[in-house]
Amino acid sequence: MAVGGRDDMAAQDVLRRAGEASVLILISLASGPKHGYALIQDIKDLVGVELGPGTLYGALDRLERLGLIEPLPADDRRHPYRITAPGAAALRVHLDSVERVSAAGRLRLQLGGI
Amino acid sequence: MADSRTARLIGAVLRCYPARWRRRHGEEAAELAALLIRDGTPAASIAWSYVAGAAREWLTPGHGRRLGAVACVLLAGACLMGVSAGLLTSTMPARAASTSQARPRAHCRPASPRPALGMIPAAGHPQAIIEFAGHGRSC
Repeated sequence: MAVGGRDDMAAQDVLRRAGEASVLILISLASGPKHGYALIQDIKDLVGVELGPGTLYGALDRLERLGLIEPLPADDRRHPYRITAPGAAALRVHLDSVERVSAAGRLRLQLGGI
Repeated sequence: MADSRTARLIGAVLRCYPARWRRRHGEEAAELAALLIRDGTPAASIAWSYVAGAAREWLTPGHGRRLGAVACVLLAGACLMGVSAGLLTSTMPARAASTSQARPRAHCRPASPRPALGMIPAAGHPQAIIEFAGHGRSC
């Protein structure tokens, strides 16, 4: 039963294997629509990680295929994206899962006296 | 001079992407590269990121099917060549054996198995005890 529960949680967490870039992009888009350059700058300011442009476009395409983000009408040559409702839900599930893992890790470190 | 060289480099790297990707992101990607270079990001690191992205793009399912088909054709060709080569090599020793027969040397004639002396099989369990007697020298 416990195993089944874990499987269900893994199935819900579609971002579990999507990669860090996808999660960071969703976190950035959670505060409003952005285009590529704005995303790179925002993520750099937020977590100090500079996404490569190749990584960025790969992750954007993947997230769009999953229906977690959607493109907005192009502004000149720039294509802004916004997070969708399923994207926001997926991000929430993933962050909850990360939080649980983080709490368990901290507890074990505490118990181990490390 | 350096700017035009950088632009050419980025342009060349962006041409590595599939046409569908270039139609969608090409112009924006070139502009993004220019902005990042202006901010101080090394052009080589941007180019490398696009190269890796292009490789990933070709390996995504849509293109993967085409690549998979090409890989299957190449694999089938390699297998056919391997089978042909195997057949050729397997017939060559037979031909060689039919034209010249190697004579075994007298001293290295293989010894025939013979029953070991001094060993009594267990009662009710008849068994053949074979001892291989060789001369111990290499031929």
